[in-house]
Amino acid sequence: MKQDLQPASSPMSEEQNVYAGVYRMLVVGMVVSNVLFGIGLILALRRPQYFPLSASWVRAQYHPSIVWHGLLHGEPNSFFLIGTLLLILTPIARVIVSIYAFWVDHDHKYVVVTGAVFIVIVVTIILGLLGIR
Amino acid sequence: MTYSLSFALLLLAAASVAGFFGALLGVGGGIFIVPAMVLLFHLPMKIAVAASIVSVIATSNAGGSSYVDQRITNLRLAMFLELFTTTGALVGAILAIYLHDWVISFIFAVMLAYMAYASFSTRNLDDERIAKGLFAKARPDKISRYLALQGSYHDLAANKEVDYVVCGAKAGMSVASIAGLASGLLGVGGGVLKVSGMNKYMNVPMKVAVGTSKLMIGVTAAVSSILFFIAGLIHFMVVAPVAVGTTIGASIGTLLMNRLHSSILKWIFSALMAYLAYEMLAQALAKGFGIHLPSAA
Repeated sequence: MKQDLQPASSPMSEEQNVYAGVYRMLVVGMVVSNVLFGIGLILALRRPQYFPLSASWVRAQYHPSIVWHGLLHGEPNSFFLIGTLLLILTPIARVIVSIYAFWVDHDHKYVVVTGAVFIVIVVTIILGLLGIR
Repeated sequence: MTYSLSFALLLLAAASVAGFFGALLGVGGGIFIVPAMVLLFHLPMKIAVAASIVSVIATSNAGGSSYVDQRITNLRLAMFLELFTTTGALVGAILAIYLHDWVISFIFAVMLAYMAYASFSTRNLDDERIAKGLFAKARPDKISRYLALQGSYHDLAANKEVDYVVCGAKAGMSVASIAGLASGLLGVGGGVLKVSGMNKYMNVPMKVAVGTSKLMIGVTAAVSSILFFIAGLIHFMVVAPVAVGTTIGASIGTLLMNRLHSSILKWIFSALMAYLAYEMLAQALAKGFGIHLPSAA
């Protein structure tokens, strides 16, 4: 019975890998995105401007050249956009790091479980790009 | 709308308070941020939902990392349940994009009311269960045993190592799917559902449930954020102050959380939920049917 509860493939010491990887990933994502938001906020407050609350206005900011131009010229929107993207990518990166860490630990059951989560993310991106305008 | 100093700073302050309570109660700031944006700042529901879900990722990163560092989080349980929360979030976000604002507000009110009740009905159980060592005595089901979901953590309030056995994996899967759906649709982490579900049906101690839920929320919210981002609903000028505010609030809340007893948290939580449920219901009825209930907002 005891053996059932403690699988041989994953004693606690090896699990430290996953914990450390996940922790580092989350902290890096949190710090970088917040710094970008902070810079953007300071820029926005220095030059208050009109902004429409519409989806089409938001989508119009997505062009790489607009973002690049904005970053060079201190446009807050560009900093916010990159910060938002980084924030969204952090947990996704955490999933990828976990898959790798479980793989290193030879915890194959969890490579499959976490891999399935990653597939859901990929399906979401595909659905979004195909279906929502 | 002009990006005035007062708008940004007030939104940042409101988000800090929401993030603080969210982390303290382990419910994700979204449940407070969405009503704050709609009731206090009069933002459209969908913009509020989308901004909230991004800020929910921020609180999950902030709170989640701290619980991982303190080894409170059960990583295996998180990875397993996440499969269901992300799938639910995908469906929920699609619904959020197509439903009317007032319908989403109404569902939000119903969810708040349920949560106020759910939290109230499970109060005081945890401290007793820890003292008697009941968490270690449950029988794991097949799935929980196969996936080795059991664990242990150090409880600072009780000052002891708490071992627990996980059971009820199927109930957990259902709760996680519903929580994910709620998350995508309403812009909340769905933490309340997951925490009470894990605590009630899966024999997971409250604090482990909170830490584990916090971690899962990040990837769950990321899934719906992807859809909202592509749809153009994530308004950067709203997101930035909200995300920064919640991160600050959540970081402070998380520091205090493990030092408080669960029963105190549940009391505060129930009262606040009940009040917000009423205000959101008033909002939905006013917008959907032109019925005006007496309201402070």
